[in-house]
Amino acid sequence: MKIMVLGVTSGAGKTTIAAMLCRHFARQGLRVSPFKAQNLSLNSYVTSTGEEIGISQAYQAWACGREPHWSMNPVLLKPHGERRMQVVLKGRPMMDVGPDRPMPREALLDAVKKAYLTVAGDSDIVVLEGSGGAAEINLFDRDIANMVMADIADAPVVLVGDIDRGGVFAGLYGAFMLLPPEWRGRVKAFIINRFRGDPSILGAGIEKLEELTGVPCAGVLPLYRLRTPAEDSLDLGRDRGAVDDMADVKQAWMRSLDQLHEASLEHLDYSLIERIAREGR
Amino acid sequence: MVDSDKARADYWHKVEEGLSGNTGSNESCDYYPCHHEGQDCTLCFCPFYPCLDDRLGTFVESRSGGQVWSCQDCLWIHRPDVGRAAKARLSGRGRPSHEELLAIKDELERSFKVKAERLMVMGATSGAGKTLMVAAICRILADKGMRVAPFKSQNMSLNSTVTPRGEEISRAQALQAQACRVEPEARMNPLLLKPKKDDISQVVVLGRPYKDMSVGTYYGGFTTGEGARVVREAFHHLELRFDAIVIEGAGSPAEINLAEADLANMLTAEITDSPCILVVNIEWGGAFAYAYGTLMLLPPEQRSRFKGVIINNMHGSAESVQKGIDELERLTGVPVLGVVPHIEHALPDEDSQGLEGRGNGGIKVGVIRLPHISNFTDFDALEIGGGASVSFIDSPSEVAAVDALVIPGTKSTVADLQWLRRQRLDRAIMDRRGEVPILGICGGYQMLGTRIEDPNGVEVDEGGSYEGLGLLRSVSRFDAYEKRTVRVEGRLLDGGEIRGYEIHMGTTETEEKPLFVLRSEEGERDEGSVSEDGMVMGTYVHGLFDLTSFRSRFLSLAGKGRESAEQIDYESAVEAGIAKVARIVSEHIDVDRLMRIMEEGA
Repeated sequence: MKIMVLGVTSGAGKTTIAAMLCRHFARQGLRVSPFKAQNLSLNSYVTSTGEEIGISQAYQAWACGREPHWSMNPVLLKPHGERRMQVVLKGRPMMDVGPDRPMPREALLDAVKKAYLTVAGDSDIVVLEGSGGAAEINLFDRDIANMVMADIADAPVVLVGDIDRGGVFAGLYGAFMLLPPEWRGRVKAFIINRFRGDPSILGAGIEKLEELTGVPCAGVLPLYRLRTPAEDSLDLGRDRGAVDDMADVKQAWMRSLDQLHEASLEHLDYSLIERIAREGR
Repeated sequence: MVDSDKARADYWHKVEEGLSGNTGSNESCDYYPCHHEGQDCTLCFCPFYPCLDDRLGTFVESRSGGQVWSCQDCLWIHRPDVGRAAKARLSGRGRPSHEELLAIKDELERSFKVKAERLMVMGATSGAGKTLMVAAICRILADKGMRVAPFKSQNMSLNSTVTPRGEEISRAQALQAQACRVEPEARMNPLLLKPKKDDISQVVVLGRPYKDMSVGTYYGGFTTGEGARVVREAFHHLELRFDAIVIEGAGSPAEINLAEADLANMLTAEITDSPCILVVNIEWGGAFAYAYGTLMLLPPEQRSRFKGVIINNMHGSAESVQKGIDELERLTGVPVLGVVPHIEHALPDEDSQGLEGRGNGGIKVGVIRLPHISNFTDFDALEIGGGASVSFIDSPSEVAAVDALVIPGTKSTVADLQWLRRQRLDRAIMDRRGEVPILGICGGYQMLGTRIEDPNGVEVDEGGSYEGLGLLRSVSRFDAYEKRTVRVEGRLLDGGEIRGYEIHMGTTETEEKPLFVLRSEEGERDEGSVSEDGMVMGTYVHGLFDLTSFRSRFLSLAGKGRESAEQIDYESAVEAGIAKVARIVSEHIDVDRLMRIMEEGA
């Protein structure tokens, strides 16, 4: 089984929601793995075998009750300096890319496919996470982490929109409609994230969105405060929780995630999520 | 109608009296201001009467039964720039024929629009950068010699300021007025919502508190009835006095669950019959999704108002998104007017955003993050002008670590005082008494005193008497649902000018020395309180850090002389910010096309 979480924007809440889904399936006794093909982040974690991966995938692995492994995040991009990035492949630095040195897309894609097979072969269910916005129409031909990955894994997709900054219906509808039809067909549910207030006022908007797209809304999640590891460079200013003492931080985070998962039970239609993961629809 | 020759000659004589007199407002006239404050009275008798221009007047029934041309609501001729230009054109040349006069009016009209061109700037999300985009466009148009006004029908913000006429408006519109180089006035932001608690907001109408309303009451009839009427009248007034009006929307116009009651966006576009542009922030990704979704979720008659898209806050090169732009234009038929890069600037933050610590100066000023904190832009000047770093704090350990403490203004003094105690911040603050300067502003000032009396339930529904922190020997009272909004000027007791504004309900009596002596037409009065040792201060004056005198005093108490040498005037820093943003925006958007959109209208 598999399910993929994509976002309308970066910072929409993909990482937290994917962690929650990991926890949800793990609590049902399933062997779960997180997977993010490509992560753009300066916050990394070193696995017990010495490989570097995005710290979010380490946390998600713990949410699954698993030891973090490089195959859960085979490509890590670490920005440094003016428009340059270090490419970490399979946990080891591979090369620097920049305006003068393009990304070796085919090599990365090949590694991603193999890593996914490793992860999938060792799990009952894989919770995949996309990267950035799902409908960057100028970047489709360079995509590795979003719909291209959904194709590789043949994964059904839930699309997350952040309502806190307004315009969430426009964002979800726009992202859905800008996808080519064959990718659009992969989107099986929407999730509206970070809502403050009484969700009943959203009813009319949700109905309209479902009617226009034919895709159900799986839930409206309130604005949670999970002490997440900072996901990417954008979040650095927002969440400065220092990760000094990993053991303490990990425990506090796990407690926080469990509370969050329990609170989400009344907001998210988990039976729909489970069916999507099981049946792909 | 001025029909006989004799009558025409008599009338022209009165016009000439105006032409030979002083220009500007005639405040000594018994009828002033017969139209509005600041009107130009040079042409009290209009030389073009009767112009029969149906944009400026209409025929009405005369007392004798016939039809008479009435232009009593015409504000165009009372524009200061029109008054000056007409005087220059008409003085000392005898009486022109009516045809000649109408030709002169046509000529003046080419320079001074009879009805303002307009443009509405919408955002795909909040934080899209509308406020500064409007300020930039205002400045670009003003630099082309146009008389420009900003307009935002409804603003929800706790950051308000006071106009020279004592009206309360959002600080964002005041900043935009500064970009236009015109005085801010309440009509530029006729409805201001100040969130108080839960779903209750204080509704400020045309700069004066109107009443407290729940979300349900406000959207359940007020926005489409009374609110829409206020907006229409305020806009109409402005459109007769300016060449161009740049209107700002609020949040996203495509909140399909709220569409009917959404006064601030499409309803305002309809009331003002404006062409619209959409601003999307590309920093978070998803910009094309938001742009497409916003345009396509609007019904066709609303979508057709959109004449352009601006992609804002681009990091990196605009070329990398060209493919996306082509595709967006192809799918929506709406052109992209430009890609504006991320701009580093020090302008005040918009509305509720930006409570993160920003500066990195040496002196650490801690501002208590009250749940209903208001006017937190007061502290921008400490960073922008004073080189201090401001952080918004809410734990006792943070209170213990700063060099200076401020209890800021609040929309709910009593509720926030109770919160302060629950967080154990009261003890933490009192522990620092004498070590660091402690300043209370407005609601914070009320908290610093010994008691807060609210016998009639102005602050808290049931009313009551509450113990304050007792750091100042003062007592505050809320006797009536009345708000004081006024600009003030004055000095520190031992010298140094201060300037600011007061926005508050309640009054305070103190046994301490006053902090300031304020000047007004009624003479001088004492304001605020300061403890014997000078370390605890309270005042109702907002914006008090904007000039250097009080800012230096406060930071020197905090930093024991560590104050930065680079003190600059806050206003000139803001002015430099506006100029910079306007320049960069003008370099990255198609300004000619924007001007054509305004000319062609919706």
